[in-house]
Amino acid sequence: MADYILEAENLSYIYPDGTQALKGLYLRIPRSQKTAVLGSNGAGKSTLFLHFNGILKPKSGTVKFNGNNVSYDRRSLLELRKNVGIVFQDPDSQLFSASVYQEISFGPLNLGLTEKTVRDRVERAMTATGINELKDKPTHMLSYGQKKRVTIADILAMEPQVLICDEPTAWLDPKHAKQTLQLFDKIIQNGTTVVLSTHDVDLAYSWADYVFIMSDGRVIGEGVPDKVFSDDALLRNADLDRPWLVDVHDLLIKKGCIPPKATLPRNKEELFEKILYHGICTGEQ
Amino acid sequence: MLNIDGFAYTNRLRQVHPLEKAAFAFITMFLCIGFSLPVFSCIIILLMAYAIIGLARIPMKVYLKLMSLPLSFLSIGVLTIAVSISTHGFGAAQLAGITISGINIGITHSGLHSAAGLFFKSLGAVSCLYFLSLTTPAVEIVDVMRKLKIPALFIELTDLIYRFIFVMLATAEDIYTSQSSRWGYASLKNSMKSLGQLTAALFIKAYHRSQTLFTALSSRGYNGRLNVLAPEYTVSVINIVIIAIVESTLAITAILLEMGKIG
Repeated sequence: MADYILEAENLSYIYPDGTQALKGLYLRIPRSQKTAVLGSNGAGKSTLFLHFNGILKPKSGTVKFNGNNVSYDRRSLLELRKNVGIVFQDPDSQLFSASVYQEISFGPLNLGLTEKTVRDRVERAMTATGINELKDKPTHMLSYGQKKRVTIADILAMEPQVLICDEPTAWLDPKHAKQTLQLFDKIIQNGTTVVLSTHDVDLAYSWADYVFIMSDGRVIGEGVPDKVFSDDALLRNADLDRPWLVDVHDLLIKKGCIPPKATLPRNKEELFEKILYHGICTGEQ
Repeated sequence: MLNIDGFAYTNRLRQVHPLEKAAFAFITMFLCIGFSLPVFSCIIILLMAYAIIGLARIPMKVYLKLMSLPLSFLSIGVLTIAVSISTHGFGAAQLAGITISGINIGITHSGLHSAAGLFFKSLGAVSCLYFLSLTTPAVEIVDVMRKLKIPALFIELTDLIYRFIFVMLATAEDIYTSQSSRWGYASLKNSMKSLGQLTAALFIKAYHRSQTLFTALSSRGYNGRLNVLAPEYTVSVINIVIIAIVESTLAITAILLEMGKIG
């Protein structure tokens, strides 16, 4: 049996204004893997994440962390928030301090660590996110991409078991988006589980080990990217497009350019390799 | 807009320990308030001008502009002190004045003296504060407050207000741009309407922001206190010695001036 770090069972949540954001959702996040939660706007991704951290309490259903039901007393909540960190979508609503250094020190200090440990962790988080040179800058003078990295450092300094990122690449330029994903690849190496939400199918397809598709407060599909993104009906129900790699790959097979039944390419390089080494080129040489 | 905040982060004295800068500014300010002779106030104004322009390398133009800011309300304030009103005349002390239906409105020597004293004293004190705000970022001033054991509530409020001034400014600017790109400020009537909507939208956004901020803080284990660590600053013995020498020289000068031994 696979090992799950976070589980949601029959989760339902209604906002005070009457919006039912989650409708009996089931989901299990595998440990130490890269998980992407895909869905269009309003599918309930952010609401789900706030449950994983105990900010929202489900109307019905349960949330489990490490196989144990989450309880909502003060001590358990602090323990949960120590282990599950959320990087919010808008950095300006997460950054509360005008100083980058103080901002990052907030989380680890709340964990009751010694000053020296906190300083070490702040330094390490800044190194990992590449923001050492921003230490003496005020947060309001940073660019959007820099703010984003500070918010990730905020959570990294708490050294959680699960790092959840809400739309980490939204509004980022391609270069910084790529750097952010590479940072996640680095974080996962020491066993941290990384979960991100996105509506960018190409990103999810190339990056994730496991994918959940959400629509209207429910999980309507899940699996490894190859499987999920070959399911046209599923993607249509979720208002998502097919990744362009899958489209191009299909077309090349249809045109007889590459052999059928090949495994799907996960990135541009893999696709090119297929064309160059396994392709049947009928065009000019 | 005068970018005091920007200079605070880029001036030449940025790396100096904030506590040293604060000590220099506040001791000088207390001396300035404590002793009333205009000559002494002028010495302080010159000293601070040197510290701001010569040491911190703030452009002369910026300094002069900042010093001219308090002039308008300072002159009004000082005027009321210089002018005295009396029902039975000022006698020989009066320098100039008029009498309207038995009430004397005039300028006396002592009135003028205390007005001048107050004028230079205020400018001196203001220049001390300018020195601190131009050389020390708000974040570091908050660190100093923390070191001085000022109540946490006050410190946290200062920190949050400072941070969100800039968020609010940016939001207001965005709303303004989006309004004016749709003729929001094309006529006086439109302007009034747009400004009202901008203000209302800012309040709503501020409220919304406070909610999301609370959520984000809670998810990092917020328990009612914004605990943060300040970066470590290096203490300079030389600076402390210089400050001690300057301040004691100032204090001795002030005492000597008061006793009328020199000047």
